[in-house]
Amino acid sequence: MQKTLIALLIAATPAMADVQTAVTDHILPGYAAFSAATGALANMAAQTCDAAMLRPAWHAAADAWLGIAHIRLGPAEDDGRSLAIAFWPDPKGIGAKQQAAMIAGADPMGLDPLAFRDASVAVRGLTALERLLYPETPLAGEYPCRLLTTTAADLAQTARDVQAGWEGEFANAVLTAGAEGNMRFLSGIEARQALFTQLVTGIEFVKDARIGRPLGTFDAPRPERAEARASGRAGRNIVLSLTALRAYALALDPAAGRTADAFDLAIDTASAQPDPALAGITDPAVRLKLEILGQQVQAVHDTVLAEIGTSLNVGVGFNAADGD
Amino acid sequence: MATRRAFLAGLAATALPRMAWADVGNPAYIAAARLGDGTFALHALSADGDSLFALPLPARGHAAAAHPTRALAVAFARRPGTYALVLNAVTGQVAHRLTPPDNRHFNGHGAFSADGARLYTAEQRADDSAGIMGIWETDGFIRIGEVPTRGIGPHDLKRLPDGSLIVANGGIATDPADRTKLNLDTMRASIARLDTDGRLMSLSAMPVAYFPNSIRHLALIPGGAALALQWEGDPAEVVPLLALWRGDAITLCDAPVGEATRMQGYAGSVAATADRIAITSSHGGAVQIYGIDGTFARTYARTDASGVAAQGDGFLVTDGTGALTRLTDTGIAVVKTMPLAWDNHLVALDRRI
Repeated sequence: MQKTLIALLIAATPAMADVQTAVTDHILPGYAAFSAATGALANMAAQTCDAAMLRPAWHAAADAWLGIAHIRLGPAEDDGRSLAIAFWPDPKGIGAKQQAAMIAGADPMGLDPLAFRDASVAVRGLTALERLLYPETPLAGEYPCRLLTTTAADLAQTARDVQAGWEGEFANAVLTAGAEGNMRFLSGIEARQALFTQLVTGIEFVKDARIGRPLGTFDAPRPERAEARASGRAGRNIVLSLTALRAYALALDPAAGRTADAFDLAIDTASAQPDPALAGITDPAVRLKLEILGQQVQAVHDTVLAEIGTSLNVGVGFNAADGD
Repeated sequence: MATRRAFLAGLAATALPRMAWADVGNPAYIAAARLGDGTFALHALSADGDSLFALPLPARGHAAAAHPTRALAVAFARRPGTYALVLNAVTGQVAHRLTPPDNRHFNGHGAFSADGARLYTAEQRADDSAGIMGIWETDGFIRIGEVPTRGIGPHDLKRLPDGSLIVANGGIATDPADRTKLNLDTMRASIARLDTDGRLMSLSAMPVAYFPNSIRHLALIPGGAALALQWEGDPAEVVPLLALWRGDAITLCDAPVGEATRMQGYAGSVAATADRIAITSSHGGAVQIYGIDGTFARTYARTDASGVAAQGDGFLVTDGTGALTRLTDTGIAVVKTMPLAWDNHLVALDRRI
């Protein structure tokens, strides 16, 4: 499999250089790292349910996911896998409710990783593990421990599935876009546009969800809507996702200097946020800093559209932009 | 008041022998597109998806309606529409240019009566978005009346087999100048069924739990219609984007969470075969297939997918990259690619020859 891929990479035309770099230098290593981190977490969770011992491994897996979470194409999209890895935002608290019900009823699905694959995406993945490792009320009995083991094993399997899907067929589909029989990408520009869309959507997600949801409005800030609230890593998620998006942007267009500058400004601001859990945004001074970050991420978005959209010769789809 | 040009065009249209669709190669579909040189056209396609001819459009189109017998197609401008063109499919000439009365906009869709004697157009009052159905005779395409659609911001409009009409009241009030949405907190979508004279037969509202869901497009199914929805609420909420209107009630059709999110809260077009329903999402680059009862079947990835129409037991899908693809239960296949960008809708010609 790996050999075929390398052969394809060599055969890729110069016009696809941007796409090739993004796939080989960013996407594939990103999935490999995520797969390794979730594998380590699953191994540890098979041996202990001690939350204090497992938390560092969970954080490492979450960090690895943020390095690649913006790629929601093909194997990452099939079977809802990206959502099965991280189910957030969840405005109606579906994940918490369903997980609580599983625990209350000692649902046998939670004891068997194979059966668990058919569980709702809302009760799987990093978000589900966070609730077990940072419970609001202490979890009693054996079931939550076994559910934790199962959830970690399932997450590792999902990570392997995405990695295998990309390393096998999907990287091939991206890199042979427009070739005879390639049903996924009918032209090179279609593949470039798909990769570019991941960048733009990823930036929008940081701005609208990671920053925008807790920000709410000035009169009604919503600290309870911050990401990864239980583990207090909302701010860290913003820094890591911006860092990963910057790397991805420059893989697509190494000459994108204005984009790099815009990212650097936003990453500096994100790193200097006074409140890593974003819980303090009811304080106007704290809130103002997050608002400024939101504006800087918006500037990243606009710069990427203007600079990289132009260099890749892609934009938002003809119909997607119309929206009627 | 008829202009001199409209008067002459009307004369010409009535003086010429009336050509039928068979005289122009029996197209099965019509679809608007932006061509490679930046101009716009309405294409007529064969049942196999070959372009039979293209009629120039002065600006970006949205949807179209085909006369049931005469070779006439009405192309509607995209919202807020100030014109609709009646195109002679034989000559490619504009036979009539329809202009809504003062304080009215066309909303992109319309339908002919079964006998072709009338054209019904979805419109809204410019100042408050109140829904209007315009009624036109089709000899000279003179407006002969209008009725309220009993809702806000109507979009698609379809004729049921019994001749009555259903209108998708999207529920969204928009700024007349720029489509800015004004009432998302209070919007409520509905399906109004009107008789051939525009009298209200029934009004079915979107269930309360799904209020900020707009009904945009319609496809006929046995005993009712499939509704393509666009979610205007919290984008993080996972909501159904397909609904069925049957027996004057609206029921929502869920997809599994991991599949539902691929549509990004947006269903652009809808079509139905005898036993399948398809909805497209240009935003998500996806097409979803459901059973005719609304049971989710599967999702296909297709860049900027937008127009969809039934083709036998499968679907033809048009997209902004210029591809025409065929979707069935078992897979997706490219029928043709052309150097153009297909616009929102692929309209199946419903005619009795």
